[in-house]
Amino acid sequence: MKRRLRDALARRTMFLLSAVPGALVALIFLGLAGKSRAVLALNSFAGVLFGTTWQPLRGSFGLFPFLAGTLWVTLAAMVLAVPVSLLTAVYLSEYASPKVRGVARPVIDLLAGIPSVVFGVWGTLMIVPFVRAVASFFGATSSGYSVLAGAIVLAIMVFPTIIHVALEVFASVPQSLRDASLALGATKWETTRHVVLRKGLGGINAAVVLGLSRAFGETMAVLMVVGNVARIPRSLFDSAYPLPALIANNYGEMMSIPLYDSALMLAALVLLAVVFVFNIGARLVLVRAERKAE
Amino acid sequence: MGLRRRRVEEAVFKLLMGVSTAVVAGSLLFILGTVVVKGLPALDLTMITQTPKGGYYLGKEGGILNAIVGSLLLAAGATFLAFVFSLPVVLYLNVYRRRGSRFAVLTRFALDVLWGVPSIVYGAFAFLLMVYLGLRASLLAGMIAVALLEFPIMARAMDEVVRLVPPALRDASFSLGATKLETALRIIVRQTLPGIVTAVLIAFGRGIGDAASVIFTAGFTDRVPTSLLQPAATLPLAIFYQLGTPVAEVQQRAYASAAVLTLLILAISLAARTIGRRFKRHTIK
Amino acid sequence: MARVGAVGLALAGVLAGTAGCRKAETGVLSGTVTLSGAWALYPMALKWGEEFRKIHPKIRIDVQAGGAGKGVADVLSGMVDLGMVSRDIRPEEIANGAFPIAVTKDAVVATVSAANPFLKDIRTRGISRAALLDIWMGRKPVAWGRVLGLPAADKVHVYTRSDACGAAETWAAFLGGRQEDLGGVGVYGDPGLAEAVRRDSLGIGYNNVNFAYDAKSLRPVEGLAVVPLDLDGSGALDPPESFYGTRDELTAAIAAGIYPSPPARDLFLVAKGTPSRPAVVAFLSWILNEGQEFVPESGYIRLGPEKLAESLKSLRR
Repeated sequence: MKRRLRDALARRTMFLLSAVPGALVALIFLGLAGKSRAVLALNSFAGVLFGTTWQPLRGSFGLFPFLAGTLWVTLAAMVLAVPVSLLTAVYLSEYASPKVRGVARPVIDLLAGIPSVVFGVWGTLMIVPFVRAVASFFGATSSGYSVLAGAIVLAIMVFPTIIHVALEVFASVPQSLRDASLALGATKWETTRHVVLRKGLGGINAAVVLGLSRAFGETMAVLMVVGNVARIPRSLFDSAYPLPALIANNYGEMMSIPLYDSALMLAALVLLAVVFVFNIGARLVLVRAERKAE
Repeated sequence: MGLRRRRVEEAVFKLLMGVSTAVVAGSLLFILGTVVVKGLPALDLTMITQTPKGGYYLGKEGGILNAIVGSLLLAAGATFLAFVFSLPVVLYLNVYRRRGSRFAVLTRFALDVLWGVPSIVYGAFAFLLMVYLGLRASLLAGMIAVALLEFPIMARAMDEVVRLVPPALRDASFSLGATKLETALRIIVRQTLPGIVTAVLIAFGRGIGDAASVIFTAGFTDRVPTSLLQPAATLPLAIFYQLGTPVAEVQQRAYASAAVLTLLILAISLAARTIGRRFKRHTIK
Repeated sequence: MARVGAVGLALAGVLAGTAGCRKAETGVLSGTVTLSGAWALYPMALKWGEEFRKIHPKIRIDVQAGGAGKGVADVLSGMVDLGMVSRDIRPEEIANGAFPIAVTKDAVVATVSAANPFLKDIRTRGISRAALLDIWMGRKPVAWGRVLGLPAADKVHVYTRSDACGAAETWAAFLGGRQEDLGGVGVYGDPGLAEAVRRDSLGIGYNNVNFAYDAKSLRPVEGLAVVPLDLDGSGALDPPESFYGTRDELTAAIAAGIYPSPPARDLFLVAKGTPSRPAVVAFLSWILNEGQEFVPESGYIRLGPEKLAESLKSLRR
């Protein structure tokens, strides 16, 4: 009897606790949206999203330079990260010996575990001067705090995400398909290209999108190397000001300028919405691929 | 297409693959190397046993004890909070609910969403909560923010392990008359204990290294916190605040913090791996 | 198991909560006074906290930096007792309850790297306000040559503050604008800006006096050089305009009004409404009386007697 009572009590408590994830998602969206209402009452959403002047003291809250900054840094990072990650994943999955694979796994996990600030330190010490030198090699002047610096650091941070998912996708491709292809006389590379990659294309897209979503939300490392200049970047060597950096740098000013806190919460909401859409899209594709493989 | 050409194409791509893998592995070595070269020389007994004297931005004497203790306390509290929510949720979804039940799917979906939320958004949300609750920048506020961050990570890692338990084991337990709670606690948890411990460690490692969630919420101080309501220094912020400065001694504290933090996380990673492997002996296959 | 944990946490919370409300025993003041905000006041607040502790050992003074904006935000949202603010308080802030008390004065100076190739010219000619305006608020990047009247084409690498702070606001006020009008790479914190400029031989930035000068040697921080202002626009630095060699020379010039205000300015401690907590009131009145003794040795300028009296009066109200 007592056991059943305990079970019923536990069941009820655990059910309530299991409602927490859903409740949290709703709370976070509602909380941020609620706070954003103040600034949206005075400016249209499109006005804030596409406005190009960010002068809170004068009441103009245009987020476009920050969106542009985020896009520049993130896209540049993906251009660097995707080929390297996919090639590495293919190598580890199809060509590497078990010994190499065994060593590679911890290496990738370690890379994934390094904190953002440490990346920022390394970026400030090594990448910023590097970009400064590269810029002058190409005849441009740059302080080194630039889109390119942010992109390089971000790309390395995103490697583990893409590699990890890509490896899972490749592992789910049935070995029989590979064997059939090889039996028909294809080289290993052709097998990889025409069978593994084609079969895993959806999953690879998902891996890339997950990497993109991770890159979008990354704050500290990029903040430390990107320059924090609120202007739309015109080249890789220009400084930029991504959205997460805006929130991190200016939360301190929130109460003293009217509507500033509201505008920053709106920025957080936009960030959340974009990351949300990417994440869900990628997850859906992966779940579907998983189900097909079962 | 001639065989020769196909072989050349293969060789080219094999080369590219090798280069890519080298880039990935090389980046890790480069970063760890920089941390070691800059940070290890800065680490001495004074550095890890003293707090900064004369203010953490200007003081030339002292060390990073404030950040070490602050980070450990904060991450421990946050991990505990996240655990208190994660384990019941994961057990509930896997033992009490049928596989594929709508509630389970929705909850897992919510956990996926939460997993993808950037830590800066958690920091902003926690800041809203703080102001609403009248809480000051403190160890407690930081714990809440980091717990929010760790919860989906821990829950997902636990879920992945618990899901793998063969349903036959669960059903056998029920058929012997055990209640769901007993099954969950005595059978499932024992079976998946290594996975659960690994999940906790992974979450701890993620939480202790995060700066964006604590920058609004935990404050910073040059003292070791003695109560939950005092501001607490953390290693990531110690790095961030003390790195960019012309005072060499202050910069040294930033490098030392980076070294300590990285070593801590490496140790946790190693521990997670070892525990996972060792405990596997005791689980039923 | 979860239940035990929850109870334990609640208990800990209760214990923690009562830690701050210790009752004053027979005249001994205790408690914590928390400050946050401007880097400009950070060294002074630390010094005041140290000296105050000698008289009231049971009062703990906690000082955090983060910029003047953070100071105001924190004090108005109840997160700290006093905000350190290195700029004028805005009307919206007063409307939200900000109660400023002027406590001391300092200045912002322009800085370049000690490795700047044009350092000799900078030192002999100084840089005029008009040139500085061009550097920070001009539409296109400026060449060092144009700034100094030389045929050099190297561009000036401009730096500014990324956090909302009084130094930037004051510097902008000197140039006729607001912080958001200042261009340049945004770096976090006063020490951060100094370090960024130090590393960039073509860089220029601005710092609070006490972060540009080393507190022990009283000379500019190793690797940094202070830019003299060409106040009369004559294109050369005359003897009356040369006072940047040591910190004390500079503070004397600020006190005498030779160095303009802005970029020299009053520094404030801001409370939310009239301060009422005994520890806070004690700290503030000590600062305005005995605390002023420590001002010059810390590299700041004493407030004039009228301003000081005004501050004391507002405290008593």
